[in-house]
Amino acid sequence: MSGRRVLAITRRLLDQFRHDRRTLALLFVAPLLILTLFYFLLRGGGGRPAMGVVNEDQGPLGAAVTQQLLASGSVHATEMDASTAAARLRDGGLAGYVVLPAAFSASATQGAIRPEIHVEGTQPDQSGAVVQATGLAVSAAAGSLAAAAGVRAPTFSPGVTYLYGGPSLDTLDYFGGAFVGLVVFFLVFVVTCVSFLRERSQGTLERLMASPLRRSEIVVGYMLAFTILALLQGLEVLVFSLGVLRVHNAGNVLLIFGIVTLLALAAVNLGILLSTFARTEFQAVQFIPIVIVPQVLLGGVILPVSSEPGWLQAISNVLPLTYAVDGLRDVMLKGADLGWASVRLDAAVVAAFCVVALAGATATLRRQVA
Amino acid sequence: MPTDEAFAVEVDGVVKRFGRQVALDGVDLRVRRGEVYGLLGPNGAGKTTLIRCLVGLVRPDAGTVTVLGRRLPDLGVLSRVGYMTQAAALYPDLSVAENLRFFAAISGAPGHLDEVLRLVDLEERRGSIVSTLSGGMRTRVSLACALVHRPELLLLDEPTVGVDPQLRAQLWDGFRAMTADGTSIVVSSHVMDEAERCDRLGLIRFGRLLAEGTADELRRRAGSDRLEDAFLRLSGAEVPA
Repeated sequence: MSGRRVLAITRRLLDQFRHDRRTLALLFVAPLLILTLFYFLLRGGGGRPAMGVVNEDQGPLGAAVTQQLLASGSVHATEMDASTAAARLRDGGLAGYVVLPAAFSASATQGAIRPEIHVEGTQPDQSGAVVQATGLAVSAAAGSLAAAAGVRAPTFSPGVTYLYGGPSLDTLDYFGGAFVGLVVFFLVFVVTCVSFLRERSQGTLERLMASPLRRSEIVVGYMLAFTILALLQGLEVLVFSLGVLRVHNAGNVLLIFGIVTLLALAAVNLGILLSTFARTEFQAVQFIPIVIVPQVLLGGVILPVSSEPGWLQAISNVLPLTYAVDGLRDVMLKGADLGWASVRLDAAVVAAFCVVALAGATATLRRQVA
Repeated sequence: MPTDEAFAVEVDGVVKRFGRQVALDGVDLRVRRGEVYGLLGPNGAGKTTLIRCLVGLVRPDAGTVTVLGRRLPDLGVLSRVGYMTQAAALYPDLSVAENLRFFAAISGAPGHLDEVLRLVDLEERRGSIVSTLSGGMRTRVSLACALVHRPELLLLDEPTVGVDPQLRAQLWDGFRAMTADGTSIVVSSHVMDEAERCDRLGLIRFGRLLAEGTADELRRRAGSDRLEDAFLRLSGAEVPA
């Protein structure tokens, strides 16, 4: 092995990077961007699930439990009345709420208490946090009251009701819908972007531009081809997730398929649009850390958008994946259908994104290469 | 196919700048129907830019380009034009026939696959994947793709680079047969043997058309026996004694 020859290889590669400023920038900017996003996602926002406390008890125990919950570090608890709590649970503002019934203190003296916990149910870890925090608050409050009175602490058995899903819902059920969308979006984007770029680099785009083809015909032709592929892929992914992996689905499979299709269309058009800004396949692959990863982080795939700080939510709210993920989860976990305004909004936003990206892709495709 | 316009190509006062560099500096050019017009000139003279003007890939900063009676830009007329780029622009993962069918379809014309495959002598390779072909074969497939929709005007940017002399002669026989049917051809080249076969030649240098005429006329004007010397002399270069 010759050190000189090895160094020649090393030197050449470093020279190539020196000429490819964009790759260099990516290498050093992308990690900071991604880590910063993680920082704001995990530390910057209200990471604690929001819960409501409905205290209908006139006795000391209800007040003590309420105090414990409001002071809890694992949930963000607010006192409210029963109807507000139920409404906010339904609109997604709360992960859960606990009702301390009118006879709560009285039943404690009889030795058994039964707070009613209502959880939203689609996010197992959030539901778990609400149940756990309530349990801790109740046992701490009841224990200290009982100790002060010199009696045995009451037994404690909460009743948990689920708005959606149920106790059997696991983490995969929660992520399943999001992952179905993500897998299709990611793969379709990369494949479209690279194949459109190849059209440029192998010179055939110039040939197409010297033909009677209109730019819109090229873009729509690409869109159709990749949509056919994406439909087949979406079908396979759905059959596999629902049939083999048994991911929970409470909704209409056709509606899921429809949302996945819209998302695939968005990915195709985004791929064509962004291929304009890359000169090589190498550069196209670099769109993954700057286009795909932030969408995964900010689109609510891993952490709910509601847990982000406000300014990050503003970014999340313009990303197509956010809406697709939300729509897919609503359908699969909550059994939502097109009667739901939120599902219609999700579908409409993804569709609008398709149109914008389509127009953008057509506009950036210049006939005059020079 | 023949129409009543006398010229296949009319270029008037075309100027094109790329930044500060002037690629075309006031070019006037007429190509007659059924004529083979050769564009001669050194690398970087503006040959490719001029050809790209004729298919609307380059929009002139000044002047006008009229192709087959239609003033550019005009998408429709492009279905009657065949364009062969300098580097073979093909889909390497498709077969020869699939490439041909595609280029015929985007021109909106029926493809004459057998005819063009015979012309470029690739009948046996119609099912071959393009990436498995040699460079010379790819050039021929690229030419076939430019011909497959039977264009009335054929623009060839250095078409016979990498093609052996025997096949080159065969291709030129094919070009001749096409002009007999009324097809006009504009071909850029710096191969002198090819220049001899053109009806008329235009010498391009520094983005200007310096001289125009048949090979004989150019030789006579330069007072030279060899076309190569005539070319050098007329374009203002020193001719070795």
